[in-house]
Amino acid sequence: MRILLRFSILFILTLLVLVVLSFALIYLFPGDVLNNLTGISAQSEAHRDMLVEKHRLDEAYFFQFTHYVSELFSGNWGQSFVSGLPLKEEIGRALPATIELAFYAMFIAVVIGIPVGCYAGLKSYTPVDYSINSLSMVGYSFPVFWLALLFILMFSLELNIAPLSGRISLLFDIPHRTGFILIDILLAKDIDTSLAMRDAFRHLLLPTLAISVISTASMIRMVRRSVIDVLNRPYITAARSRGLSRWQIFSRHILRNALLPVLPLMAIQITTLITNAMIVETLFSWPGIGNWLIQAIYQRDFPALRVGMLAVASLVITLTITIDLFNRLIDPSRDKYERGTI
Amino acid sequence: MAQFSLYEEEYHPSPWQRTWREFTSSHIAVLGLFVLAIFLVFALFAPLIAPYDPLQQNIDSLLLPPSWETNGSISHLFGTDALGRDVFSRIIYGCRVTFGSSILLVMIAMGVGVTIGTVAGMMSGVRSSIMNHLLDALMAIPTLLIAIIIVAILGTGLVNSMWAITLALIPQFIHYTRSFVRSEMKKEYILASKLDGASAWQLFRHSILPNMIEMLVVQGSLALSIAVIDVSALGFLNLGAQPPLPELGAILADGLDVAYLAPWNVGLPGLSIFLMVLAINLVGDGLRSALRKRVSH
Amino acid sequence: MPILDIKNLTLEIETAGERVKALDKVSLTINSGEIRALVGESGSGKSLIVSAISGALPQKFHLTADRMSWKGKNLLSMPTEERRQLMRREIAVVFQNPGTALDPSATLGEQLMESIPSELVEGKWFWQRKQSRRKSAISTVHKVGIKHHRHYLNAYPHQIPTDISQKFMLAMALISQPQLLIADDPTRGMETTTKTQVLKLLTRLNQTKSLSILFISHDLLAISSMCHSMTVLYCGQTVESGRMKMLRKRPLHPYTKALLDSAPSFQKDLLPKSLLPTLDGTIPSLKHVPIGCRLGPRCPRAQRDCVITPAVRRIHDHTYSCHFPLHMEKL
Repeated sequence: MRILLRFSILFILTLLVLVVLSFALIYLFPGDVLNNLTGISAQSEAHRDMLVEKHRLDEAYFFQFTHYVSELFSGNWGQSFVSGLPLKEEIGRALPATIELAFYAMFIAVVIGIPVGCYAGLKSYTPVDYSINSLSMVGYSFPVFWLALLFILMFSLELNIAPLSGRISLLFDIPHRTGFILIDILLAKDIDTSLAMRDAFRHLLLPTLAISVISTASMIRMVRRSVIDVLNRPYITAARSRGLSRWQIFSRHILRNALLPVLPLMAIQITTLITNAMIVETLFSWPGIGNWLIQAIYQRDFPALRVGMLAVASLVITLTITIDLFNRLIDPSRDKYERGTI
Repeated sequence: MAQFSLYEEEYHPSPWQRTWREFTSSHIAVLGLFVLAIFLVFALFAPLIAPYDPLQQNIDSLLLPPSWETNGSISHLFGTDALGRDVFSRIIYGCRVTFGSSILLVMIAMGVGVTIGTVAGMMSGVRSSIMNHLLDALMAIPTLLIAIIIVAILGTGLVNSMWAITLALIPQFIHYTRSFVRSEMKKEYILASKLDGASAWQLFRHSILPNMIEMLVVQGSLALSIAVIDVSALGFLNLGAQPPLPELGAILADGLDVAYLAPWNVGLPGLSIFLMVLAINLVGDGLRSALRKRVSH
Repeated sequence: MPILDIKNLTLEIETAGERVKALDKVSLTINSGEIRALVGESGSGKSLIVSAISGALPQKFHLTADRMSWKGKNLLSMPTEERRQLMRREIAVVFQNPGTALDPSATLGEQLMESIPSELVEGKWFWQRKQSRRKSAISTVHKVGIKHHRHYLNAYPHQIPTDISQKFMLAMALISQPQLLIADDPTRGMETTTKTQVLKLLTRLNQTKSLSILFISHDLLAISSMCHSMTVLYCGQTVESGRMKMLRKRPLHPYTKALLDSAPSFQKDLLPKSLLPTLDGTIPSLKHVPIGCRLGPRCPRAQRDCVITPAVRRIHDHTYSCHFPLHMEKL
């Protein structure tokens, strides 16, 4: 299948660009290259030579690059300055936390956003639609950090419903298996599962809510606009003149044609979602990759930065390309540049 | 046979006038435009409007509540922050920094993006298609990530964060411009101009550009709302505007420590960011509906 | 017994604050087993009549009529569900541009099979019904002249050529076994061979199944060969209506005469290099509709009385509305 081939090539090419960039970063960061790489400032000439040889800084760039790539593949991602732990492990803990947050927010956005958007589109230009439209406009315009802050002030501090930070109360010690807290709770053996789950839910509540308000509002607007566009098309009038029932027209014709243009936009949605998740993590001390990267930048932890950036970027690119591929495969109408709008 | 026309003089409004008419028929859009104009006035005339110097610390009046609370005074309309600086003045200057830098960077991103996109669209070939797929894929990288990298390389500061956001917005403009130009180039009126002997520049300037302005306005408003949110987000994370530069996100971050004691320190700057973005979105939405309705009427 | 009876249908649009009559007292009757042509220039409101009958008028239009009934049942006061059932079973519409009337995300076969009303499907279990639907779809597609049904039924709308898609639209209309087929300019832009095929098919259906057809077109040649009766529409007003033979022999309204004259094949004795007869001017836009008889400014026989809308007069079943009709000086 030629499409698969094209997309695989694109994928590999993009990843290559990212890896090159990540490799080049160490030279772009301010300061001495060796210092940036190891965090150790050389004590003497001999020490310096030894370090240079160890990290192969005296070879040509190309060899350094291949060395870097081979290190990446073998799992040796270097060590963080700050904590001294291997980066693979740190990222392995942090990335799933962010993915979990983003995933739940996306889930809410899809489950609530698509039906509400369809409903608003079908009943367009009626009072119900106006109110839904205004609400989604307001929700869409919130800066995510302000919204999270308001939630904290309201729910955490005033009403004391949900806790302020972390993923789970310190009383529980959940062993790290997959990194996804809800799954880990289910997998853990000798704890009170229901209590732990309830606690984890309470911790998840506010961050997910903050992110999902914005994503849901965005989804509602996209779906509504798409449904309105489809309703004006001639084939819907033709279907009505054939006497098909409203439910038939909706489920067979409107739904498919309205959701297809929305799919490419989901990819951009995902990046906004991840950005918002990373921002919100700092407010809630959620141990995700956003928080980790921002701490890394405050502390000038360069090895951590470059591998972390590579990890997040590759994750996002993978998701985007998969969605694009999926879109291309299932869309029969082949209008490549026909995207939905907000 | 009648010698004179029996029909009245017909008034045919130009496309821009029609768009404006459709736009003003929605009251909410006009309200958004009004709020946006207020912010623009703040941005342009900040030194004239702000009652105090935003950087001036006043040790006597720390954490004064806003004037509508019982303890507040009218001299500090929105109260003061932990260092005694007047919140109202800081917000006005902050609007100037946030709004002004957002507008500037959207213009730069638009200029660069449209140029590259048009060139890519008017040429065709395998190379441009590869470049485009690459750019599309890179468009997916989150703004925050790009910002982190640039800040790590160049250091913190408002200008560096602006570079980051510009870099993040350019691929979007390139993508939309390129797809627009490509679809226009296939149309027959371009072919007619080409057969008349128009050069590429003339084609662009007289045929494509007038049709592109609408799309650009719409994309520009979307980009502006993204830019405002990103500039303030980076300021909030201390990756962008550094203290004591008043920028709405940075002001919010400053107020974070005392958020429980003095909620106006976080509520009011956040509210201004929210209103700014809401106004931009309302105007953008109104413009888009007006452009759509203009075609269908 | 007319199956579709429309009398004095008036359609008003609100534009910029004032109400304009897009259709002004239009009357149309179709009898069972009859092919009636509806002729008029573009902009005369033919498609509006189709929308009014099928109930698909947008909200801005206001509809009033003395009588608008299908087989005796009043269409104006019918509940929506019954109207929809009517559209599903008894009336079928074929639109102008076949490509746009098809859903781009579903295959042709799916769309055809979903148009089959459930009463016509045999079988109790759902796989039996599915098979019966498919059989019915294939046979209808063969009837309209599409041979390679397997290829086309699994194709998407953007993959098939226009003439096949128009035949397919006919198949979709016919599969519910309607009693009235409204064909809104079905042969527009078709090459002659395909056009003849479609017209022959319509004639055959009319003869074998006594399918009444409302054929809306500009094509006078096709109309004169196929249709039993004709209604002429000008700018939202019916100017003349009657049997085809009578209209051809003795058109009473100046507009009908101009229409018939303008088709060159109707004239037998044209001198070489002679000017083809036309009517000066163009159809007026809705903003500047003339009062009274709307043909007034263009009519070569217009006089001062034409500012009053002429009443409908009839001779046997030939109705006309003109103050100064042709061939009528003696009466």
